[in-house]
Amino acid sequence: MNLDDLWEGDMTAVTVDGETVLLVNVDGTVRAYSNRCPHQASALDEGDLDGDTLTCAKHLWEFNAVTGHGINPDDAQLKSFACRVGDDGTIYVDIGR
Amino acid sequence: MSKPRIVVIGGGAGSAAAVAELRKQGFGGDITLVSAEGTVPYERPPLSKEFLLGTSGLVPVKDAAWYEQESVELLLGTRAIRVDLAARTVTLAGGAGLGYDQLLLATGVRPRVLPGVDGDGVCYLRTAGDAAALRDRITAAGHVAVLGGGFIGCEVAAAAIRLGKRVTILEALPTLLYRALGPELGEVVAGIHRDEGADVRTGQQVLGVRSLPGGGIQISTTGGAVDADVLVVGVGTVPNSELAGQAGLAAGNGIKVDECFATAAPGVFAIGDVAAQQLPGSGGRVRVEHHDTAIRHGRVAARNMLGQREPFRDVHWFWSDQFDHTIQSAGLIPGADGTGELVIRGSLEQRSFSAFSLDGGRIRAVISLNRPKDVLDVRRLIVRDHRASAGQLRDESLPLKRLAAPAVPATFQARA
Repeated sequence: MNLDDLWEGDMTAVTVDGETVLLVNVDGTVRAYSNRCPHQASALDEGDLDGDTLTCAKHLWEFNAVTGHGINPDDAQLKSFACRVGDDGTIYVDIGR
Repeated sequence: MSKPRIVVIGGGAGSAAAVAELRKQGFGGDITLVSAEGTVPYERPPLSKEFLLGTSGLVPVKDAAWYEQESVELLLGTRAIRVDLAARTVTLAGGAGLGYDQLLLATGVRPRVLPGVDGDGVCYLRTAGDAAALRDRITAAGHVAVLGGGFIGCEVAAAAIRLGKRVTILEALPTLLYRALGPELGEVVAGIHRDEGADVRTGQQVLGVRSLPGGGIQISTTGGAVDADVLVVGVGTVPNSELAGQAGLAAGNGIKVDECFATAAPGVFAIGDVAAQQLPGSGGRVRVEHHDTAIRHGRVAARNMLGQREPFRDVHWFWSDQFDHTIQSAGLIPGADGTGELVIRGSLEQRSFSAFSLDGGRIRAVISLNRPKDVLDVRRLIVRDHRASAGQLRDESLPLKRLAAPAVPATFQARA
């Protein structure tokens, strides 16, 4: 996946080594999380990214898309993966396997 | 001088949210949470869904250790029987008194009980205890009858079918979810239940219920008799407003509160299912019985108890999961006296649609089947400046987000 295909304010789900990973681009900062909501494992890419707020469409759990911290409820946390953008724009994700 | 004390009566998710917000806002006084139930506040939505299926246990909103850590006193399995507004005391069952500086009433609702429909084999669903008993009954049953085709009835029916049970749904109105969805959309849900194997009998009044000699229960209806192993009744709720009423607060259909959740008595607030609030754009006072709304009530009321005057403006939102289908809604769908038109985006046949309540070029509410993204978008649009036409809403190639009025740059605003 290349940064050119993930616009600012966009998010998308990709599969990395069998793991569904959510990529978000908040103001040029790319973050990678497990695509499963910590509440009931619903697919986060079916939700909404508004500014830096990521909302799960299933039960409206909200997260800060930059930190992965829960906003509502505030004790939730997205599972995050290490991620970097290469010189050519390629997005690399380390799912830790 | 002793520390101020806030007493919260009721052990639902709204109470837990209020208590958490009080501490988050830095309230350092005493907090006592009184609940007739024997467990810490828990998530109620799964009780009619995953809990019955056995895929989820009881999920506490906050675990018991959290209350300990935050110095919140829990009086569980304890009923508050009297409130003295002048003396600012609550009397607990057993006679103990509890003084308060501020009081939050979050006593919720209870299932409406049909006269004569009780006894062995008849189940109502509200609490964790009810749900555990119902789960055991359904597990042992071959045939489950459900009386009432509202959300509780539909969800329990769906769970029972998933557990391999024969299910009969009895509903007095013309179709399922009639009050929430109306005839046309309700029929789509009835179709889903029929396709999954439920015997959906609408337009039938229950005449009586009796226990059968060999066990089981017989339900006589205007359309004939139904023999079942268990009867689940979900025919609406009654607000638990007696405590407030006896104290002298206005509490007809729910406890009357202002837009900040204050009652007429100083220091006394009410939230959640039991609170009757005047809402902008609605004719009269309404009680909203949604999980998410109760939690939002709790947070706003907590801030107001600490001296804010923050009116409640959050958009009402709920969901219902039945089989693999998700119903979601944002805003308040107007009742029979409502104005405006209903516009459908998507397809009823394909069971993927959103029904918008459109009034004066604005979306007032949406209810959708299997299109949660639409509901997310509308939830944001409702509180923003927007314009929508029926044609735009029907056009699936037009993203709903685009209906928001463009933000006007500050320089243009200055000139205007």
